[in-house]
Amino acid sequence: MNTEPWVQRARNYAAGFLWSRKAQKYKMVMLGRNLSDGLLAKMVIYVLLSIVAYLYLQPLLYMISTMLKTVSDLLDPSVKWIPRVVTWENLSKAYKGLQYPEALRNTALIALSCSIVQVLICSMTGYALARLAVPFKGLITALVLLTFLIPPQVIIIPLYVIFSKLGLLNTLFVFLVPAIFGQGLKGALFILIFRQFFRAQPPSLEEAAKLDGASAARLYFRIMLPLAQSACLVVFLFSFIWYWNMYYEPSMFLAKGFTPLSIRLDQLEDVLNPSLLGSKDLVSNPVTEGTKMGAAFLIILPPLVIFMFLQRWFITGIERTGIVE
Amino acid sequence: MSSVPDLKRKAAQYHLKRYGVGLLFMLPWIIGFCVFVAIPIGWSMFMSLHKVAVVPGGFKYTWLGLQNYRDAFLKDNVFPIELITYFQEMILMVPIIVIFALLISLLLNQQFPGRFVYRALFFLPVIFATGQVLSELFTQGAGDIPFLDQYNLEPVVRQYVGGELAKTVMEVLGRVVLILWYSGVQILIFIAGFQTISPSIYEAVRIDGASPWESFWKITLPASVPFISLNVLYTIIDLFTFPLNPVLKHIKDNMFKVDTGYGYASALAWIYFGFIFVLLALVTGLFSRSMRLKGGRP
Repeated sequence: MNTEPWVQRARNYAAGFLWSRKAQKYKMVMLGRNLSDGLLAKMVIYVLLSIVAYLYLQPLLYMISTMLKTVSDLLDPSVKWIPRVVTWENLSKAYKGLQYPEALRNTALIALSCSIVQVLICSMTGYALARLAVPFKGLITALVLLTFLIPPQVIIIPLYVIFSKLGLLNTLFVFLVPAIFGQGLKGALFILIFRQFFRAQPPSLEEAAKLDGASAARLYFRIMLPLAQSACLVVFLFSFIWYWNMYYEPSMFLAKGFTPLSIRLDQLEDVLNPSLLGSKDLVSNPVTEGTKMGAAFLIILPPLVIFMFLQRWFITGIERTGIVE
Repeated sequence: MSSVPDLKRKAAQYHLKRYGVGLLFMLPWIIGFCVFVAIPIGWSMFMSLHKVAVVPGGFKYTWLGLQNYRDAFLKDNVFPIELITYFQEMILMVPIIVIFALLISLLLNQQFPGRFVYRALFFLPVIFATGQVLSELFTQGAGDIPFLDQYNLEPVVRQYVGGELAKTVMEVLGRVVLILWYSGVQILIFIAGFQTISPSIYEAVRIDGASPWESFWKITLPASVPFISLNVLYTIIDLFTFPLNPVLKHIKDNMFKVDTGYGYASALAWIYFGFIFVLLALVTGLFSRSMRLKGGRP
């Protein structure tokens, strides 16, 4: 093909530049040796993650923005994200409607006590399944899995009768007693996590302690449990969060008196508008919308603060626990 | 020297002690299983075969046999439809959640400054994505993707999917962000799973001249098949208790109806469990077969 000489020259120049050392260096910085090393790849990752994170957290932002709006702002379609007047009235109404201090105390009591008990009992059970001699171990492990799979709806009525016979309804013990006996909320999952963790530990530690004459209980509490710190933290936090947020079980077992936050959020509509009692349907009511979002915010605030302090240990803990081996 | 029977006795004693310690550690769980799981399961199965009426001082059972189960499909004109709709939604939601979790965890697994902040962000929904707060957000219609309305995707979906299914697709798309909130745990499982792939393998294929694209398809993806299967199973189980699940609501409603009662509600719950169990077994079988074919880890 017949090309102009200046095109030829430019082509030569470009080829020369591409092969020069300087260009190589630029390419190294921009693209990197690995997919993730280069500046370009990092930019792409940042942009992608930021967009997705924005979409991901949008409902949370919606919650906060709705909470700060006045009723007229809520009804005005031209006000989308930023309220014209920031009002704290919704929060204070929600605070009163939930009877926040009392409900917070109830919820915290349930979540804290049950999750501490769960860490202890589930780790013991998991340790026994991983290391100790237990008759019918295979069968028991299968049964643990089964308790994880059974939906709560299947057994909720008999459970209700059993709890009422034992006189546990509407007290803290309706959750604490099953937790003591290893049947707390998602207990089977935690047992499996601990089993996995203890199985991954080298057996030489236990053998050394046994040779030194440590009893099984001493061996467990002095050596194995402290060893499982990261797993304990992971289980504790999950358990805490799930107990904090659970709704279905307390809606059956804690109907009145000793009620946690999630139940009170459900009843908030009735508390705010006693006149509408009974006509509650899924249509959202613009007048109480802001208050409800405020209440939701008040509910997630405590676990959010806890998570902020513990997240670093938590996430690395999950990586080290070997949950997924 | 001790005699043979003596030795035997000592061996038996030793084994008894070994089993004793194990049983002692298991004891709380075993008691709990009997009282809070085994008895309720048996009881609810018993109830599902009866008509249960509440009388002062207890229940009155009338034997029905499999009548409750038959009624669920033949007489009840809500339950089968809800069951089918829910399973349609689930079949859509599970891949969305798992693929989203896989993509995000791939991005989060790269080395870049500030990845801890992003990991924390993506884990955040786990804190409140359960329970009442979430269903409150659902009710208010938060959590749709903005471009759904902007580009008017509904007719497009209707055209390509068609009929009843389009409604399901639109419903899932309408709250896709909140559904994605269910992927926090899955992202963590994937990230933890990627750590188990040894970096020296990547080194080796790079020296052999594989591009990052190839190394993803040839190494990362096959190595994470066990985690994908784990995540699919976890997602299905997690969606059991999805708030606003129509099936669960129907079961709960039937519990307190006079003419149906606990017996019928138990039968519904067992049917629901049966369907989920079949689904779980199918998924497990599928994944374990594909893994065995590839000669991967069990």
